[in-house]
Amino acid sequence: MAIARPALAAPVVRRRVLHRDRLIAVFMLLPSIIAIAVFVYGFIAYTAYVSMSNYTTARIDLSFVGLDHYVRLFGERRFQENIRNLVVFTLMFLAVCLVFGLVLALMVDARVKGESLFRSIYLFPMAISFIVTGVAWRWLFTPGDLEPTGINLLLERIGLGFLKARWITDTSVWPNLEVPGLKVRLMVPLAIVPVVIAAVWQMSGFAMAMFLAGLRSIPEEIKEAARVDGCSEWQLLRYIVLPMLRPVTLSAIVVLTHVSLKTFDLIMTMTGGGPGNKTELPSLYMYELRFSQFNTAQAAAVAMILLILVSLLTVPYLLYNRRAQSVEQ
Amino acid sequence: MASVTFEHVTKRFGDVVAVNDLNIHIADREFLVFVGPSGCGKTTSLRMLAGLEEVTEGNIYIGDRIVNDVPPKDRNIAMVFQSYALYPHMSVYDNMAFALRMQKMPKDEIDRRVRDAARRLGIENLLDRKPKQLSGGQRQRVAVGRAIVRNPAVFLMDEPLSNLDAKLRVQARAEISKLHMQLGTTFIYVTHDQTEAMTMGTRIAVMKDGVLQQVDTPQNLYERPDNVFVAGFIGSPSMNFFDATITTNGTDLFVDTGAFRVKIPENRVAPYRAHVGRQVIFGIRPEDCHDPEYAPPGVHQALVEARVEVVEMLGHEVILYLVAGGSQSFLARVDPRTKARVGNTIAIAMNMDNMHIFDKQTERAIREEGLAPAPIPVQQKV
Repeated sequence: MAIARPALAAPVVRRRVLHRDRLIAVFMLLPSIIAIAVFVYGFIAYTAYVSMSNYTTARIDLSFVGLDHYVRLFGERRFQENIRNLVVFTLMFLAVCLVFGLVLALMVDARVKGESLFRSIYLFPMAISFIVTGVAWRWLFTPGDLEPTGINLLLERIGLGFLKARWITDTSVWPNLEVPGLKVRLMVPLAIVPVVIAAVWQMSGFAMAMFLAGLRSIPEEIKEAARVDGCSEWQLLRYIVLPMLRPVTLSAIVVLTHVSLKTFDLIMTMTGGGPGNKTELPSLYMYELRFSQFNTAQAAAVAMILLILVSLLTVPYLLYNRRAQSVEQ
Repeated sequence: MASVTFEHVTKRFGDVVAVNDLNIHIADREFLVFVGPSGCGKTTSLRMLAGLEEVTEGNIYIGDRIVNDVPPKDRNIAMVFQSYALYPHMSVYDNMAFALRMQKMPKDEIDRRVRDAARRLGIENLLDRKPKQLSGGQRQRVAVGRAIVRNPAVFLMDEPLSNLDAKLRVQARAEISKLHMQLGTTFIYVTHDQTEAMTMGTRIAVMKDGVLQQVDTPQNLYERPDNVFVAGFIGSPSMNFFDATITTNGTDLFVDTGAFRVKIPENRVAPYRAHVGRQVIFGIRPEDCHDPEYAPPGVHQALVEARVEVVEMLGHEVILYLVAGGSQSFLARVDPRTKARVGNTIAIAMNMDNMHIFDKQTERAIREEGLAPAPIPVQQKV
């Protein structure tokens, strides 16, 4: 009997779901699981509920009204403008950031002298808060009433006065397309261009760092093999380097896009959403709905729409990453 | 198809001389192997030929053309890298077709060549896979395939077998040799493994510290090494060396190591007469040290007493670790029927027909006039 015991004991232990080690692990994880469940998912659920309630004044009223607020939002001229601005801002910011980041990374990767200095210079704006960036670039992009200021002053001094523009005070939309059924004119509100420039200034260093890491992970031998195989430097970039940067590019796109979707502080300090809502994003409108108009339900609806937009971007990315990881294992 | 010539080629990285005054002519269709310990300049030589490193001094010719300033893509060479350097984002087919596409070759011709090479290498069923999905041996074949589709003038291979396991390496060795015969192209191969060099090369260039030591056929390198380094590097286990003096009793010459004294055969004494009384290095390969019972007949033997320290039984042979005269240790590869046991003192029959004697100062082989080894360039001070 005594001899047979160990052989019998092992499977019994394995079948017990909550043996000692696992119990300890669960207890260790429990506080953060509870915190996330309450403060993240709990409040998301609560926000979703509020967005379908009648809580539109300072008085708490959680009676259910369905999707009314969503329908109203999408019919509003202001929210349509918000969405237009968001799309324009995100696309321009993303495109310029990626191109700039890639070019900077390629230049730094060419092992120029003082490479680490350049790298630090380009990365430095990331260390600044969007608030500071917004204030500084507002000064630069204020055109000045009688006398030019900021960028306009600079342009005039270096003899490029014809490039002077109204920057963040420009209310025009170009090329001002009219679309039946929509209350806004489509395409680019010109006042958003300076905001994009400020955002790119702050974030292209991040894109550069991502691309630089990607470039450094490409083995030298692969580039040499391509050169022996007959590639010019341009073809090497086109057929070998860029395709091998695809995973890094995808990550950069996801991170930058979600930064752009959630942008609030930069625009709040730089333009406050003006002129005439030409640079207002949903996040600013949400703030105004809640804290100026006390329309909590409508603000919650905007929040939910933003959440859905961010999820549309990040969930497929996370799934893709998980699949890629399990393939590697 | 083309010959390759290195003419007084030197490569410096800052103050380090990686390759020092390399002179070598590689004939068309030859299989030349650069071999040497790591850091000897063999890979740098190959990379200069590929155009991946600039030449500091001297000229490299492919055929009659100086290629010093020709970019890699215009040299008509193909290279197999140690890491294989397959393009991870492309299928096997695209990897092999890539160079041809860069040449803007018609699609059907590309397809014909890729499938032809794949058939030859037995990787037809892998054409749709990505490199990540292949085993090491399969990747190595794809790397070779990528080179052969191009039909280049010269094949360059940089340690292409070093990432394979031992068994696969032996197989791949034979396959590359076969490929060389089928293609009839110039192959230049870099390895640190002397067995690979001996089995594959039609000629071998042995390098050390950036300096070419000797270029010759495998057999000549083995039988007539020019210096102590080549003698020790080629052959496994490596040659036994003893510090010795050449002595004479008036008629015969002897090698005296202090631990033992062996007679130099009459037919070989000529070059050593001038060295009587001088310090030399005596070299004898383990395979020329026999158990007297099983020594080959008809050779000049010299018997040496030695104590057995270790016996390694390998099946087809036995390696004995021996000590003569209390301090001179050496190895012998003897017949497996030997009765030598650890602790015994036994007689070892050295085959003096295959002995080597090197000058102690220069470490160069002492030979008859006219057969003396070519001088080795003196290390330049930079």
